[in-house]
Amino acid sequence: MTAPVTPALLYLDNVTVSFDGFRALNALSLAIDHAEMRAIIGPNGAGKTTMMDVITGKTRPNEGTALFEGSYDLTTLDEAAIAELGIGRKFQTPTVFEMHTVEDNLLLALQGARSPLAALLSRRLARERERIDALLERVRLTPNRHRRAGELSHGQKQWLEIGMLLAQEPKLLLIDEPAAGMTDQETADTADLLREIAKTKAVIVVEHDMTFVRDLGVKVTCLHEGSMLAEGSLDVVSANERVVEVYLGR
Amino acid sequence: MKTRFFFDRQTVLVLSFLTAAAVLVPAMNGLAAPGSALHLPDHIVPLLGKYLCFALLALSVDLIWGFCGILSLGHGAFFALGGYAMGMYLMRQIGPRGVYSDPILPDFMVFLNWKDLPWFWQGFDWFPFAALMVLLVPGCLAFVFGWFAFRSRVTGVYFSIITQAMTFALMLAFFRNDMGLGGNNGLTDFKEILGFPVQAGSTRIALFVLSVAALAGGYLLCRWVVGTKFGKVLVAVRDAESRTRFLGYRVEHYKLAVFTLSAMLAGVAGALYVPQVGIINPSEFAPASSIEVVIWVAVGGRGTLVGAILGAMVVNAGKTWFTGALPEFWLFALGGLFVFVTLFMPNGILGAAGDLWERSSQKLRAARSPKPLTHAAE
Amino acid sequence: MIRLYILLRVFVLLVGMTGVALAGEYEDALPKFTTGNYSDTEEAIGAVAASRHPLSLALIEALQDGRLLAGMGQVFIRDAAGDLLNAETGQPHGATSRDLKPIRVNNRIRRAIEAALGGLTLLSTNAGTRMEAARAVFRSRDAAALPTLAHAIAQESDPTVRQALQQARAAILVGKADASPGDRLEAVETLRVRGDQDALALLSNLPADSVPELTESARKAADGIRSRLAFWNVLQNVWYGVSLGSVLLLAAIGLAITFGTMGVINMAHGEMVMLGAYTTFVVQELIRTYVPGLFEISLFIALPLAFLIAGAVGIFIERTIIRFLYGRPLETLLATWGLSLILQQGVRTIFGPTNREVSTPVWMSGALDIGAMSLTYNRIAIVVFAFSVFAILLLVLRYTSLGLYMRAVTQNRRMAGSMGIRTNRIDALAFGLGSGVAGIAGVALSQIDNVSPNLGQGYIIDSFMVVVFGGVGNLWGTLVGSMTLGIANKLLEPYAGAVLGKIALLIAIILFIQRRPRGLFALRGRAVEA
Repeated sequence: MTAPVTPALLYLDNVTVSFDGFRALNALSLAIDHAEMRAIIGPNGAGKTTMMDVITGKTRPNEGTALFEGSYDLTTLDEAAIAELGIGRKFQTPTVFEMHTVEDNLLLALQGARSPLAALLSRRLARERERIDALLERVRLTPNRHRRAGELSHGQKQWLEIGMLLAQEPKLLLIDEPAAGMTDQETADTADLLREIAKTKAVIVVEHDMTFVRDLGVKVTCLHEGSMLAEGSLDVVSANERVVEVYLGR
Repeated sequence: MKTRFFFDRQTVLVLSFLTAAAVLVPAMNGLAAPGSALHLPDHIVPLLGKYLCFALLALSVDLIWGFCGILSLGHGAFFALGGYAMGMYLMRQIGPRGVYSDPILPDFMVFLNWKDLPWFWQGFDWFPFAALMVLLVPGCLAFVFGWFAFRSRVTGVYFSIITQAMTFALMLAFFRNDMGLGGNNGLTDFKEILGFPVQAGSTRIALFVLSVAALAGGYLLCRWVVGTKFGKVLVAVRDAESRTRFLGYRVEHYKLAVFTLSAMLAGVAGALYVPQVGIINPSEFAPASSIEVVIWVAVGGRGTLVGAILGAMVVNAGKTWFTGALPEFWLFALGGLFVFVTLFMPNGILGAAGDLWERSSQKLRAARSPKPLTHAAE
Repeated sequence: MIRLYILLRVFVLLVGMTGVALAGEYEDALPKFTTGNYSDTEEAIGAVAASRHPLSLALIEALQDGRLLAGMGQVFIRDAAGDLLNAETGQPHGATSRDLKPIRVNNRIRRAIEAALGGLTLLSTNAGTRMEAARAVFRSRDAAALPTLAHAIAQESDPTVRQALQQARAAILVGKADASPGDRLEAVETLRVRGDQDALALLSNLPADSVPELTESARKAADGIRSRLAFWNVLQNVWYGVSLGSVLLLAAIGLAITFGTMGVINMAHGEMVMLGAYTTFVVQELIRTYVPGLFEISLFIALPLAFLIAGAVGIFIERTIIRFLYGRPLETLLATWGLSLILQQGVRTIFGPTNREVSTPVWMSGALDIGAMSLTYNRIAIVVFAFSVFAILLLVLRYTSLGLYMRAVTQNRRMAGSMGIRTNRIDALAFGLGSGVAGIAGVALSQIDNVSPNLGQGYIIDSFMVVVFGGVGNLWGTLVGSMTLGIANKLLEPYAGAVLGKIALLIAIILFIQRRPRGLFALRGRAVEA
C-alpha cells in the first residue's frame, strides 16, 4: 500500500458522469473524514444517487478521481470489491431478501469470506450467532428473528437494511433516504441510531426531510445539476440564495 | 424453522418414494407372473427409467431457475452432451459387431469412408474416461459460456435467449456429418454396456435402479447445496441481485458455480437416458425440448426441488398417454399447460397444494380461536 | 409442330434467296446416318450442314432431339406430332416407326450437332435466332464455323448480335494454333472485354505451344477478368445478404416493437408471421376459385388482411394473457411459447401438416442482370417491401400520437402512466401493431419460403438475434442488426459453408452480447437502470 495522498476517508475530485450527453455529475468534488457524518441534500436529478453509484462501483465516471482511504481507486473496482473494502450502501427503497428470514438476512451480511466455496462449506459459528443477537437487539428486530423479511413493515425493513449494513462492519455507510415512509417516531429513532453509528464510522446520508437533517445536526452538502452548490452547517446552507432558489423554495 | 421442517419432510417423502420405486419396479417386472395385475411389462421399465432421467434434468433446471433466477432455455444441450459422451462409449463397445464389421470405426464412419478414428473419439472405449466426460463436457461448456455471460451481467430474458441460441447452434453443428458424431442419425444400435447386453431385461432393471440412485443422489446434492449459506446467497441473488453485490458477494462467481453444477447434473441425466432409449441424435438439442423442461419445473413448482421431480413425472406421463391416445391434441395440451401454469399456478402443483393446506389450516385455527386472527406485524 | 413448319418455311425462303444450295451433297450424306458408326454420323452432319439444303436444319435438330430415325437404308424425321417425314424429300412417309431406330449420338456427335446448328442458324433473319446461334458457336468452338461466322459478321447490322458473333469467332481463334498471331491477340482482347466465367476458362486454358506474347496477354486478361468476377461475386453475395437481411428485418421489426415498448418476449411472434403466410394462401385460393382475374394483385389484397388478422390475434393475446404477466418477463416468455405451440397445432389441424402452395405473380418472376450478377424480381420486391415497411413504421412512431405514446412508454413507463397515457391500452395497440407487422412479413415470406405450420419457428431465433444485437427501443438498431447479420451470413457462407457460417455468426452474437449486453443501439440512463 502506498502512502495516502489524502487524509480523507473518501475523496472525490472532479468526478463527471454523463449519459448520452446529459451530465448526471459535473466535476463533483467531495471529501469525507473518518467518523464523519455528512448529509447530502438537493433536488431530484441533482446527482445524489449517481454519486452513490460511483462510490459503490455501479457506475464508472467518465473522468475524475474517487479514492477510498487515500489509496484505493474506486473507479477501477467492482461492487463486490468495494463492499469488501468497507463501504456499505442502503438503497432508497428498502431492499432486503424478502424470502429469507430476518436472521438469514443478517447472516448473509455478516463480515466474512464471500467466495462460493467458503459459503458452501461454512458452518454456523457461536461468534456469528452472538453478533446476530447483538445486531437484532440494536435494530429492534429480536422478536421477528424467524419471520420472513418480506412480512416486515416498511419501517422494519428500513431498519433491517441498516442492520445488514452494520453487519458488514463497513468503514463508510451510504444511506439513501432512510426516513422515507416512516412515522415521526420512527424517523426520530432512526436519527438517533445514525448518530450513534457515526461515532465510530463515516456516514453519508441522502435525505429530503429537513427536520430529519436538522435532527442529525451535521455538516450539509447541497448538490445541484451534478455539482456542489453549497456546503456547511444546515443554517449556513439554508441561508444560501441559490439553495433556496433551486431547492428549498421561499 | 418451519420451512426447515417442511423441507425435511419433503426429503423423506422423495427418498421413500424412490426407494419404493427401486424395489417395486424390479419386483413387479421380474417376480410377478406375466398376465397378473401386478406384472409390469418389459417395455415399461425403460420408459419409467426415462422419466427418472427427465426428473434429474428438471432438478438441474430447478436448481438454477428456482433458486437463482437463471432461466436457461438451453439445458437440453447439456443433457444431450452427456448423452453423446455415453453414446460414444456405447458405440465403441459395438466393436466388430457393426454392419460393416470394422473393429474400430463405428458404422457411420465406415459409411463416410473415414480411415481413422478422430482424435476426440480416443479414450471413449474406456468407461471411466467416458464417465468423466459425461461430467466434464457439459461442465466445461457451461463454465465457458457462463463465464462470458455472467461476467458481463447478461441477465433475464437476454440470458434465456442466448442459451437458446447456444443449443440451436449446437444442434446445427451436430447435424453435420463432418462433426464426426453420426450427423442426422446420431449414435444408435448399441450392443453392450460394461459387458452386459443393452437390450436384456436384467440390464434394463439395473439401469433403472441406477437412474433411481442418480436421481436420489442428485436430489440430496441439491438439497444440501440450497441448505448451505451458498444456497442462501443464490436465493438472495434471485430476489435482489444488486443488493447481494453491494454486500460484497461476487454474484457472477455464484452464478457460474451453480450453472456449471447444474449442467453436470443434466449431463448425468443424459448419460443415463441414452442406454435406456437406445439412441442419441441432434434433435435432443432442439430449442423446443429445452423449453419443455422448464415447463416441467413450472408445473411441479419452481424452487422446491421435489416439485421439479413431480412436474417431470406428471408432464411426461401425460405426454406418453396423449401421444398414444390423442396424438394431435398433445401440442394443444402442452401449449395450454404453459399458459395455464404461468397464469393461474405460478407456484406449480406444490404451490397450489401448499396454498390449499394453508387455507384449510387457517380455517381450522380460526374455528378454534374465538377472536379473529391478526398478524402481529401488520 | 407449328414451330417446326415455320422454321422449315423460313429456311426454304432463306436458302432460296441465297440460292447456294448444292444439289446432291445433302442426298449423298444421308446414307452415312444409317451405318450406325459414330464417325460416319459426324461426317454426315458436317456434309448436311455444309449443303445448306432446305431440310438441313430440321434434320440436325431432329438428330439432336433423338427424332432422326434410320431403317431400311433410309433416314426419316419424326415431327412433333409423331408423323414420319422422309428426310430426303420432306414428304410424309407411311412407314410405321417400329422398324426404325433412332440414330445414336454420343458427346462427340453432340458437339458436332451444336456446331452445325450454330453454323446453320448464324444467317437466320431472326436476330434472336442469330444470337442463339452465336452463343452455340461460342460454346462449341468448331473451327468449321469460321467462314460462316466471317460472312455473318460482315452482314450483321445488330450491334449486340455482332458482338456475340465476334466473341464466338474469338473463342475459336484464341485456341487455334494455326491462326495468325495478330488474330489471336485480337481474340484475347475480345474475350477480355466479354469478361465472364467462360472467357476466363478460354483464356486460362490456352494450348501450351502458344507464342509467349500471346500467353502473356492472355494471362493478363485472365487476371483482369478474375478480379472483375471476384468483385461481382462479392457484390452478388452482398445482394444475397441484403435480401436475407430484409427477410430478417421483416421478421424482427414487429418483435422489436413489442420487446421495445413492453419489454416482453413474444415467443409466438413467429406464429404471427405464419398466420400472415396462411392468410396469403387462403386469399389466393379464394381468388383462384371466384375471381381469377384478380390473381396478379392477390398479394396486395392479402397484405391488409394479414395485418388485420395477425394484429387482432396479437391484441387478443395481449388482453387475455400477457397483460396479467407484466413485470414477469420470463413467465411471459413461457406463456407465449405455449401459445405458439397451440397456434402451430391449430394451423396444422386446419390446413394439414404439409407445405401449402402459394404462387408468385408473374410480375415477380424473372431476374434482372446487372454486370455479372443476377437479381431475381421476387427478392427485389421483398427488399423494397421491407424497407417500405421500415420507413412507414418509422413515420408512424415519429408522427402519430400512438407513436408518441409508445415512445413515451418505452422510455419511462411509470412517468408516461402518470402523465395520463393509458399504458395498458398503448400496450395492447403496440402488441397489435407488432403482430400485424409480423403478419405482413408473412405475406412477403410466403413468396420465398415454404408455407407450413413450422414457418415461424424458422425465424424466431434469428429475429431474436437481430433484436438482441441491434438493441431495444430503437428501430434503427433493428435495421442495422438485420442487415449486418444478413450480409455477414452471406459473406461467410462461401468460406465456411451455410451451417458453419450460421454457427459462427451465432457464436459471434453470443460474444457480442457479452461486450454490449443491451445491444448496439441501447437506451441508456436512469430509466433503463430502474
